[in-house]
Amino acid sequence: MTTRRPALDRVGAWLAGVIGAALVVLLVGTVVFFAFRLLPGDPTALVLGDQAGEAERAALRAQLHLDEPLARQYGRFLGSLAHGQVGPSLRRPDVDAATLVLDALPATALLAASSVALGATLGIALALCSVALRRRVAGRVADRLIALGASVPLLAFAPAATWVLAVRLRWVPLPADPDAGARGLLYAAALLSLPLGAAVGRIARASLEVAAQSPFLQVARAKGLGSLRVWLVHALPTCVGPIVTVVAAQLGALLGGAVVLERLLERRGLGTVVAEALAARDLPVLEAAVIVAAALFVVVQAAGTRVHAALDPRARA
Amino acid sequence: MSRLVWPAALILVALVVRAARSADPRRLDLSAELARPSGSHPFGCGEGGVDLLALSSEALLRGMALAAVVAALALAIGTSLGAWAGLRGGSTARHVQRMCDFVQAFPSFVVALGVLAAIPRPTRVHVAVVLLATAWAPFARLALSELRVVRGLQYVEAARALGAPAHRVLVRHAIPATLPVARAQLGSSASALLVADAALSFLGLGPSDGVALGALIDQGVGASLRAPHVLLVGTGALCVGALVLQAIADPKR
Repeated sequence: MTTRRPALDRVGAWLAGVIGAALVVLLVGTVVFFAFRLLPGDPTALVLGDQAGEAERAALRAQLHLDEPLARQYGRFLGSLAHGQVGPSLRRPDVDAATLVLDALPATALLAASSVALGATLGIALALCSVALRRRVAGRVADRLIALGASVPLLAFAPAATWVLAVRLRWVPLPADPDAGARGLLYAAALLSLPLGAAVGRIARASLEVAAQSPFLQVARAKGLGSLRVWLVHALPTCVGPIVTVVAAQLGALLGGAVVLERLLERRGLGTVVAEALAARDLPVLEAAVIVAAALFVVVQAAGTRVHAALDPRARA
Repeated sequence: MSRLVWPAALILVALVVRAARSADPRRLDLSAELARPSGSHPFGCGEGGVDLLALSSEALLRGMALAAVVAALALAIGTSLGAWAGLRGGSTARHVQRMCDFVQAFPSFVVALGVLAAIPRPTRVHVAVVLLATAWAPFARLALSELRVVRGLQYVEAARALGAPAHRVLVRHAIPATLPVARAQLGSSASALLVADAALSFLGLGPSDGVALGALIDQGVGASLRAPHVLLVGTGALCVGALVLQAIADPKR
């Protein structure tokens, strides 16, 4: 039974949530801002190399406003942030760094969303096998697969799998193939979905085991409902809440995996932008990437909590 | 102690290889560029003719050393923090719990990339500090939940009733109670740290001499059409390292 809180209370809570989220993004942006300016080492030497002349360094320092007092630099940073900008990219000074990052975001978001869909499906299927078919071979195989997915690192099997499937068997497009299209996306999403699938599988299995003991399931069985229906329609909805929470918590790992995978398969996206900026030490782009990642994090967390509450009345505040 | 057999064996093998082979992992021999496995180079050669057996064993040793050190520090910091917060209970415990949730879910890899990029020549210490910044969270969370159980136990109540100061209750009773579960987490954390370090060096943030698992895998990817054995050695080494570290946390008792 949900209690209806006064409307003002709910608006207040929503506002607090938004402010909290904005504070998180601001905090992360501030950490990176100061990291770039306070860590030992001259940023201009980082970007231009040790051999650069003093004139070039002075020019770059002026371009990055590094010769201004720190407080003024921070004020300038906050001002641009309010306009959704971070400052010009070092490699392409006519473009704002935030624009470069945001342009690359949709491709990565598509990859991430596809892997979430695939991973959640895989995890649920494995968990169902493991619990419903516990006494059969299929159940034990599902258990092993969940353990395997959780322990073998993406960085280890992705290159090896790509070599086997793309280079030797030609079943999937080669990395950097411009015509990769949907098959390329599907392959990348499949790779990225495996660790997520294992995490979802674990949580779903635990939830289903609890549900398996519960009275309501026994009632469903006693009513004479078919086994599949019992599991899918009655048991599965109980683990949707924890699954949503796990998926939201896996965003960090998903973004990290996307960076590595995009670099490996040479797909355009946030990962390649970050890798290129890293190689060229394009600091504004890296700043923008971190801030965008933080913003994504708060949005996904908030969405996850909402979806969880919507799907599972027990989770409502 | 059988859970430590596999990591110990692996480390021993790697050390023996390192001591026995005179090949320096940094030594280049251009005439043996990307050579296939043979008598003189059991794992073959990588770019520049570097001996892959020496390179992979040295990189694995370094990676495991970093992972072990950071995991041990994370256990010390996280368990202490979680146990202290759990003992105090109330809003302290809630705040620490929230912090753990936040740190664990946060895309810290991207932030780590950003921070490490600002350092001209990131050393192992820089990487260790950046990884430690998030590695403590699982241990703190475990300690918190263990403490919820432990706080109710009679020997802790008795200690407090006898007037034992808070830090003594913590050190004598609370922390030892959390250690068994923390040990299980140690294995999976160490494994994850090994992989994170490899991912960082894969993206170019590793040591400048190139002796790192990620750099080795990067070499393998670049040479995968001409010399697939390099990729096999790199990914195999990482897999073995990660699985062996996981073995410490084997839940099957």
